Amino acid sequence: MRGFAELNPAVLMIYYLCVIGTAMFSMNPVIITLSLFGSLVSLIVLEKKAHIKLHLSFLLLFLILAVINPIWYHNGVTVLFVVNDSPITLEALLYGIFAAAMIIGILYRLRTFTLIMTADKLLYIFGRLSPKMSLILSMALRYVPLMRTQTLKVRRTQKALGIYRGDNIADTLKGEMRIFSIMATWSLENGIITADSMAARGYGEHRRTSFSLFHFSKGDLIFLILCIIPTALIIWALAAGEADFTFYPAMSGINSSPLALTCYISYGFLSFLPVLLEWKEELRWKYLMSKI
Amino acid sequence: MEILDVKNLSFTYPKASFPVLSNISLSVKEGEFVAICGATGSGKSTLLRLLKPELSPLGDVSGNVSFCGKPVSECSSASDIGFVMQDPEHQIVTDKVWHELSFGLENMGLPQSSIARRTAEMACYFGIEDKFDKNISELSGGQKQLINLASVMVTEPNLLILDEPTAQLDPITASDFINTVKKLNRELSLTVIIAEHRLEEIIPVCDRLIIIDGGRIIESGAPKDVISQIYDKQEIMCAMPAAARISALLGEKNCALTVREGRELIRSYKNDKKAEQTTISRKTEEKAVLEFKDVYFRYERSLPDVLRGLSFKVYESEIFCILGGNGSGKTTTLGIASGIMKQYAGSVLIFGKKIKDYKNQSLYNECIALLPQDIQTVFLRNTVLEELYNADVDISSLPFDLSPHLDKHPYDLSGGEQQLVALAKVLALKPKILLLDEPTKGLDAASKLRIMSLMRDLTASGMTIVTVTHDVEFAAGIADRCALFFRGEIVSDAPPQEFFSANSFYTTAASRITRGHFENAVTAESVAELCKLNGKRSSDV
Repeated sequence: MRGFAELNPAVLMIYYLCVIGTAMFSMNPVIITLSLFGSLVSLIVLEKKAHIKLHLSFLLLFLILAVINPIWYHNGVTVLFVVNDSPITLEALLYGIFAAAMIIGILYRLRTFTLIMTADKLLYIFGRLSPKMSLILSMALRYVPLMRTQTLKVRRTQKALGIYRGDNIADTLKGEMRIFSIMATWSLENGIITADSMAARGYGEHRRTSFSLFHFSKGDLIFLILCIIPTALIIWALAAGEADFTFYPAMSGINSSPLALTCYISYGFLSFLPVLLEWKEELRWKYLMSKI
Repeated sequence: MEILDVKNLSFTYPKASFPVLSNISLSVKEGEFVAICGATGSGKSTLLRLLKPELSPLGDVSGNVSFCGKPVSECSSASDIGFVMQDPEHQIVTDKVWHELSFGLENMGLPQSSIARRTAEMACYFGIEDKFDKNISELSGGQKQLINLASVMVTEPNLLILDEPTAQLDPITASDFINTVKKLNRELSLTVIIAEHRLEEIIPVCDRLIIIDGGRIIESGAPKDVISQIYDKQEIMCAMPAAARISALLGEKNCALTVREGRELIRSYKNDKKAEQTTISRKTEEKAVLEFKDVYFRYERSLPDVLRGLSFKVYESEIFCILGGNGSGKTTTLGIASGIMKQYAGSVLIFGKKIKDYKNQSLYNECIALLPQDIQTVFLRNTVLEELYNADVDISSLPFDLSPHLDKHPYDLSGGEQQLVALAKVLALKPKILLLDEPTKGLDAASKLRIMSLMRDLTASGMTIVTVTHDVEFAAGIADRCALFFRGEIVSDAPPQEFFSANSFYTTAASRITRGHFENAVTAESVAELCKLNGKRSSDV
């Protein structure tokens, strides 16, 4: 079974560029709504657990962002009510709501991005650009936690040796300074051993290649096509101005020309694509299971 | 076929007044398993590094090294000679197991498909398939060293050089590692040159043993012949397997190497006279200096218990040895006793007072001190002198001599010397209870003996020592009481003679040799003494 997370990282990257890029340049309420719900459902399906705290904090952020606009911005023809001689308009309120929905939608999408694009996938993408870069990143990913645990060990040892036994800030700071300085020495020392080990294994002898566990399969190609075609349609509609929507001074209606409808359907498809893929795989899995 | 040929090799480090290696001549046949032993500073590492051009130290070299008939420096690729170093942690370059395995192949510029095949093959051969996409930081020391070996083997070297590869591993993992190397040698006819301190497992499997002393090869040949030539060299003999040491002490011409041969040897001795049973007479009113009462500990709320109802007492001026497998909670126990970690239930009493009642770091003030396993973490300064000066150590009153090392960086010292400097630092705190975590890790046999005699002197002057160790031979030689740790509690606790003769597997080689023949003989010295006392069976004379 090959779900969304198992796709080739480069394909995933292209998907995220498409889905976030198109959502950022449109204030069309349909697209924003599709983006918000698409990313929300994707997160729930991909993470397979409910993050009540996350949703609550995003809801709070949504409310704040939605309220700020009508309070500060008084453009618009439909006055709802007046507070302190400032009119609160329907247009400004709706604009606030949709702007907030766009931001929250993108935040949800980025949340799935961090969930899906783990360090080794990003490494793979950068490794395509340069094998050296990927090695450096990989070494850094190893080195940083190693140094952190060593620092912790040194701190514990020094505590149990009672070297900095005073309980005052000056002594603690002095102790920390010493630990920091010895960690620099430790890093250099170990850097030499690592460099030896690299030389012993032939680093720098030939032009390096970059190996990875990812490969590009038929499924990746299909996903890529399913990602590029709707994006092209959306860009066409946006460029032609068919999916435009204005809030001020009065709201324009939602365009329902054939191209605009194609654009909405395309965006909906793009936005729910991870969910569709997961469902498809799940159905396939159930079907295959039934044969066992 | 000769794979490696060393002729009259001498080497002098820059600015050094005398050579580390002089006139070394050595030739190794394809498929041979060669073990090199010698004390720290005898030049083993330098010799091994001179065989691998990428790692050769700078200095004055004379003589030549040829590999497969050509000078080694003209060797076509780094991947022809594999090299595994001592520290499992720092040879690792990347963060993932699969990336580490593929590193050497990437350097060779191989295409994706052959890298995929070779790494897969190697992971299967070494049985590390389930770790393939793990982070290396999640692995244990032994697994890391295995990854190092696998990632060297993946480039298919003709010669494998290992420089003390098991020094940082516990005995069980170490013996697994040696067996893997032996398997490579046997199944692939891989030529192996290995330098080691711990010879118990190596000697029975190697084809040739080379003894280096003072930069010269003093003996070379089949292990049996070599060892019987050096019976009188104490500093080298102390590293040999127990069976060999017994043979040496008895002056046997035919040297025994394994436990099996050792048993045959002692069977030729009578067993009428028994060893004197030493018992500890403990007065009931004697007060414990350190006491654990029903201690429970876990690292995180969601993780399982590491200590489950641990209770024990340590009495004044005794050496209490805690033995046990990896992850059984030994180090955690010391962490709790030294107040670095806190139990969630139960209590720890030091001199009858709870740890939390020691306010303001008074626990560390002339009371308790811990020397950790990773001895490097003790050092904070750039020279030994600074280190000692800042810890208020009176250098002249130390029970050992550190004067040759005062100007060196602590990291440049050997494991044994580091241990001594760390001890000097700890002793300046005048602790009444000293906690030692694996004090023999990475030490050669001679340094081990020095630490042991030092520990005895310290307890004679009233200090109490609690030590955690994997090293059964060390525990048998030093402890007043030994305790076996299993799943977070102590399952047995007794004086070493009784403890090791009651255990059948988790015991010293000497005890395995004498099982059923002599009772209560757990060290090579005591076995030899018993043999001498009883005399040979008349039929064999």
